[in-house]
Amino acid sequence: MYGYPEPVARAIEHFMKLPGVGPKTAARLAFHVLEMSEADVKAFAKALIDLKTGLTECAVCCNITEASPCAICRDPRRDRRIICVVQEPRDVIAMERTREYHGLYHVLHGAISPMEGVGPQDIRIRELVTRVGENEIDEVILATNPNVEGEATAMYISRLLKPFQIKLTRIAHGLPVGGDLEYADEVTLAKALEGRRAL
Amino acid sequence: MDIRRVELHDFRNYAAAALELSPGVNVLVGENGQGKTNALEAMLLIAVGKSHRAHRDRDLIRWEKDRARILLEASTRYGDRRLTLELGPEGRRAFANGVQVGRMTEFVGQVQVVLFAPEDLDLVKGSPRVRRRFLDTELGQMEPLYLHHLSLYNRALLQRNRWLKSSGLSPDDGVLATFDEQIAFHGAHVIHRRLRFLARLRAYAARIYSDIASGREQFALSYRSSVLGVEEGMTVEQIEGAVQRALERNRAQDLRFGTTSAGPHRDDILLFLDGREVHTAASQGQQRTIALSLRLAEIDFMHEELGEYPVLLLDDVLSELDDLRQRNLVLGMSRKVQTVITTTSLNRLGQELDDFRLFRVCSGIIAEERV
Ligand SMILES: Nc1ncnc2c1ncn2[C@@H]1O[C@H](COP(=O)(O)OP(=O)(O)O)[C@@H](O)[C@H]1O
Ligand SMILES: [Mg+2]
Ligand SMILES: [Zn+2]
Repeated sequence: MYGYPEPVARAIEHFMKLPGVGPKTAARLAFHVLEMSEADVKAFAKALIDLKTGLTECAVCCNITEASPCAICRDPRRDRRIICVVQEPRDVIAMERTREYHGLYHVLHGAISPMEGVGPQDIRIRELVTRVGENEIDEVILATNPNVEGEATAMYISRLLKPFQIKLTRIAHGLPVGGDLEYADEVTLAKALEGRRAL
Repeated sequence: MDIRRVELHDFRNYAAAALELSPGVNVLVGENGQGKTNALEAMLLIAVGKSHRAHRDRDLIRWEKDRARILLEASTRYGDRRLTLELGPEGRRAFANGVQVGRMTEFVGQVQVVLFAPEDLDLVKGSPRVRRRFLDTELGQMEPLYLHHLSLYNRALLQRNRWLKSSGLSPDDGVLATFDEQIAFHGAHVIHRRLRFLARLRAYAARIYSDIASGREQFALSYRSSVLGVEEGMTVEQIEGAVQRALERNRAQDLRFGTTSAGPHRDDILLFLDGREVHTAASQGQQRTIALSLRLAEIDFMHEELGEYPVLLLDDVLSELDDLRQRNLVLGMSRKVQTVITTTSLNRLGQELDDFRLFRVCSGIIAEERV
């Protein structure tokens, strides 16, 4: 049977390791790369390698960074007494886009999930506790995802931080603002109704 | 609401067939394997978007054909509906009154049907799982938040069970408690909504049972929770406390077996005739009547919610009911809802009914007969 030439097959194999990429998409990507200029392919490959070797974890907040401590942790304008705890580096970027948050972050790199074999010791919880113990902190905001694993992680952390007697908050999840009520899904709407308040 | 006309093109064993229904009772009569259930299946497909017995559209398309088409015309209190559904290799295309509808979720629910199929007997004979599935689908259709709590409950339960199975390796450092808390919270909402639903279902189903059985015996049902202390009338918070306590009490046992022994995933509906629990002691006819009562209660729920009755599809139910029950069922129901019945033989029913439309179904051909 006719098969792909070995280099193509190998590229396909690697593309398939990416999330959401099946054999068909992988083949399309591989042939697309074949069409690209050699310079572009080299730049692409280098970008991938730099991604892995050029980055390290910030010694303070555990976010990925080129130099530790990271730019946010070094910024003198940030409020060092507030820490916002998020699951992933990309959550920091989402929070930063709001331009409303001026404290520091702590990136866990995951959430507690026995099904994926992830326990508290596998994410940066220990680092967070040490950090809270060694610094003057007023408030820790738990901004993990609003799913079972994110809630479990927030609950777990809040129990560990209780003894420090600092303010512990959990971000609210509600109706998207600016959108029309009719476009909100039933669950969001029903939950917003459950959590209504008097005016 | 009434279904006026149904057309089938390359659907199952039909090449091209049409059915003009009366607003009252309609009987499809024919030998086994002729296409009676297939015709009901087509109506169900238009109403809810899925078949009760096929998982792939491919199975619904006539063998050696590429696409099938169903047309259904109905009159509802919101106006006339002309609904078309095409099944093909590229997927589905749906039209409502000539306008293509992009999403199936917007297409379904324009006509309402309730189907009673022979498989529904499992509601009585089957394991608790069947009755929980019944609760979950009925409630899920009516209350989106029920599905929300149920899916988070199931997820937290999976996580807890996985933790229990692998916990030999690590001591409890507080992880279990974080899942227990969520299980208790979402589990309490699931149980609370089930109890509320069953209180209504009990009243409807008992009345339907009594109508079909001419009051010969009384039917009742109750919720049996695996969680100690859960009772009807409790608040969500009270149930949450009970689930939390059950999780703590069972912890040692759960650790040993690697699974969670109490919670809504282990609950059941108990069924009673004259105060005695229905096991296999009840006769075939009684069991069939109970299953019918549970399923037909949906008619009353829909009527209450939507202000109009759905169309009732009764597949092969007559054979195991005695003449009295057949008569009560068909005459009782057809007074309020349009009914389509399939049967292999008309028996006495033909004489009992004074006004009905009769269709003979024979290898994919439907012919109306004079009565
Ligand atoms: N996709 C299909 N194409 C053609 N015939 C089909 C298809 N699916 C089922 N059938 C036929 O339909 C018949 C079953 O029809 P059904 O409605 O279940 O019978 P009944 O009248 O007993 O209710 C069987 O003879 C089966 O071979
Ligand atoms: Mg049949
Ligand atoms: Zn940092």
